[in-house]
Amino acid sequence: MSVEKAPQHAVVTPDARVPDVPFRSATPSASTAWKPLLAKADQATNRGDYEQAMALLERAQRIDPDSAEVYLGMAKTHSAKGDDMQARATAERGRFYCSGKIQCDALRGYTR
Amino acid sequence: MLRTSHLLLKLVLVSFVVGGLFVIYLDARITATFNDKMWDLPAKVYARPLELFAGAPLSPDDLSYELDVLGYRSVTSARNRGEVSRFRNRFEIYTRGFDFPDEREPGRRVLIEFSGDRVKSMSASGGGIDLMRLEPVRIGGIYPQHGEDRVLARLDDVPLSLRQGLMVVEDRDFNRHWGFSIVGISRAALSNVRSGQVVAGGSTITQQLVKNYYLTSERTIVRKLTELVMAVLLELHYDKDQILESYINEVYLGQEGRHSVHGFALASQHYFDKPLERLGLHEQALMIGMIKGPSLYNPQRNPKRALERRNLVLDLMAAQGVISPEQATVARAMPLGLNKKRRIQDSFPAFLDLVRRQLRRDYRDEDLTTQGLSIFTSFDPLLQRKLESSTTIVMDQLDPRDELQSATVVTRFDTGEVVALSGGRKPRFAGFNRALDVRRPAGSLLKPATYLVALERPSEYSLATRLSDAPLTVKLGGAKSWQPKNFDLQSHEDVLLYQALAKSYNLASARLGMELGLDSVIDMLARLGVEQGVPRVPALLLGAGEYSPMDMAAMYQSIAAGGFRMPLRSIRNIVDANGTSLKRYPLEYDRTASIQSVHLLHYALRAVVREGTGRGVYRYLPENFAVAGKTGTTNDGRDSWFAGFSGDLLAVSWIGRDDNGSTKLTGASGALKVWAHFMDSASKQPLAYRMPDGIQPQWIDNRNGYLTGDGCPNSHMLPFIIGSEPTQRTHCSPRQSGPKSGSGIKTWFESLFGGGG
Repeated sequence: MSVEKAPQHAVVTPDARVPDVPFRSATPSASTAWKPLLAKADQATNRGDYEQAMALLERAQRIDPDSAEVYLGMAKTHSAKGDDMQARATAERGRFYCSGKIQCDALRGYTR
Repeated sequence: MLRTSHLLLKLVLVSFVVGGLFVIYLDARITATFNDKMWDLPAKVYARPLELFAGAPLSPDDLSYELDVLGYRSVTSARNRGEVSRFRNRFEIYTRGFDFPDEREPGRRVLIEFSGDRVKSMSASGGGIDLMRLEPVRIGGIYPQHGEDRVLARLDDVPLSLRQGLMVVEDRDFNRHWGFSIVGISRAALSNVRSGQVVAGGSTITQQLVKNYYLTSERTIVRKLTELVMAVLLELHYDKDQILESYINEVYLGQEGRHSVHGFALASQHYFDKPLERLGLHEQALMIGMIKGPSLYNPQRNPKRALERRNLVLDLMAAQGVISPEQATVARAMPLGLNKKRRIQDSFPAFLDLVRRQLRRDYRDEDLTTQGLSIFTSFDPLLQRKLESSTTIVMDQLDPRDELQSATVVTRFDTGEVVALSGGRKPRFAGFNRALDVRRPAGSLLKPATYLVALERPSEYSLATRLSDAPLTVKLGGAKSWQPKNFDLQSHEDVLLYQALAKSYNLASARLGMELGLDSVIDMLARLGVEQGVPRVPALLLGAGEYSPMDMAAMYQSIAAGGFRMPLRSIRNIVDANGTSLKRYPLEYDRTASIQSVHLLHYALRAVVREGTGRGVYRYLPENFAVAGKTGTTNDGRDSWFAGFSGDLLAVSWIGRDDNGSTKLTGASGALKVWAHFMDSASKQPLAYRMPDGIQPQWIDNRNGYLTGDGCPNSHMLPFIIGSEPTQRTHCSPRQSGPKSGSGIKTWFESLFGGGG
């Protein structure tokens, strides 16, 4: 594959990340520190405080931008608020990060 | 005789009326504005708080820097708030805590250990901590025209010794007089007579307050009389506590850059980095002493004089019984105790400018400068530092004579938040904010819009479609015509669509764009977020128009996010002076382009840096670190552009001259270097390869775009929207081995790019 060939003039800088360092993309959910935020967001959604729920979910997303679960929580909140357009767009974007049938199907549920 | 006395009487009457009117006028001035003045509070602007958790991608040195700009004191053992002790990869931090809009983060002592460039563990005395935030760095304020910052103190928060010390030094009769003090005035008059000029004021605290609030500092009899009348009026309307509280919040105590330091509370933060109520006696005495001459006794510039003055105040306080002689002795022995905090406020003019512009869409200037709002932004001081360092290093190499300018916008494309911004080569200087305000053609940076239009028509185009790079003439009406040229002034043989973008061939791109129609390209630019400065002319296909780095960031943000347009945000939320959330700027996704087509475009933009005009990025980045991007060069090398993204960051860099002359640079020899240098130091995550539904990779013969097999000549794997694969096939039969055939091909292809998920 020519795309995998090293470029001719490539010089790896001395502080280069060595290949065996696990990048987050290779180790999904490297941190689950955001899990408690999701639980709190759920509670906020249930009591109708969508602003608070979204603030918590956005914080969770900043901690782990690749979490499909966070996207699912956002889609759920948008939907509970009655904003189906945002629920749909958010779930569509979350599908980039989903793994496993259950999670992917849950997101797909909002895209229809 | 009678006439003269009549005239005299008239004169007296007139002067009474005039004098009375003047007093009424002064009285109205005082009552109308005094209360308002007390509550004028500029908005505070905060950076993002640093999130800490086990696994957080953060280097120990970055944490050190963050603590440094937060003004943490380095100690051997952290015993007080705002202290840190570091031993290699172990930090002991006593955080200050912060009232965030959602919840309070308590101040606590935490132990943080690193393993490489990640947080390994966090614990406090109570056990492990899953997640915490440091307090956010205050990066500036939105000040009124006169440039005053302010932190309000309530009289109850002011230590008693400070209040009494203040009276002992400035106005001993404060609790007894009616606004002026005969004793004080006589004392001043005597010393003025002795020296033959006006040297002493003899002003009471009330008079000083009136002077600061309403009057100029000129020393004339009329002004002095006005001051006297107003002081009496003030005393009539307000009680002593209100006047003292106002004084404590108003008194001038020095300068911080362009901003004057008013009030003890702000001065306390400025000079000692402590709240007023935690000041020691020696610190209180220093501030009281400074009132007499804030620049003369400035402890930073004149430490010796300030120390003498402070000790004099301590002696006075002891002599008048405010403190005991023992306390005075202890306090005299203390050093000045100045804050060594790095000056961070207003160091990021370009970003603050962006915040201000976003605010002005929703708020009036008056609200911003008087209501004491707290504005929480997405600004990341760690990324900003890296951006400034990369800009300086690369620009100094490219242009030692300091003639070129540069600007860069950095966003996190998952959320659309702007995290760092440089508006010029010297990012600490306020001025022309090139990141927002230059209007330049974008060169080939616009080309992806054309290619995306094509890739959204899978029945007509795929990455393997053959494009002609033959010369082209477009009639423009009249005798005029447009004849684009390739950068190397050559025309090339037919190339595959993705190669034409990777190598940035102008002829092939212009042909493609004319085939698709200008309107469809303009429509695509709008869908990606570029709606202004786009001319409806064929030269648009090669980047004609007027764009800022911010405009290009909006466009590439939509591409990086996978076809989702979202507003570029710099503000997260705004909280009022009571801590109530006023407004949140929410994250909103808007899918404006086909997910599958943008996926194909990503492939082509990866090819730019692997085999095309952007190969130079790998002189800076490790070879296995996947990124995607595009170079841009305008006529005569006036503008050098690079836009691109990794797995976590998007950046758009521009280099040009303020006089719009030639830089003698291309996108690859200029802006690309700033971009790649920055990405190497800042990006933590390579671009992952996530194949959406409806995409299937195929082996393609690189020369003709035919289907072929693994191991065949020029075989190259490309992703296709299912159904858009080429129909013609080479005569080569594929190798029948390994996982690289059948259903495993997709997984294998994804794994090649180090992605998946």
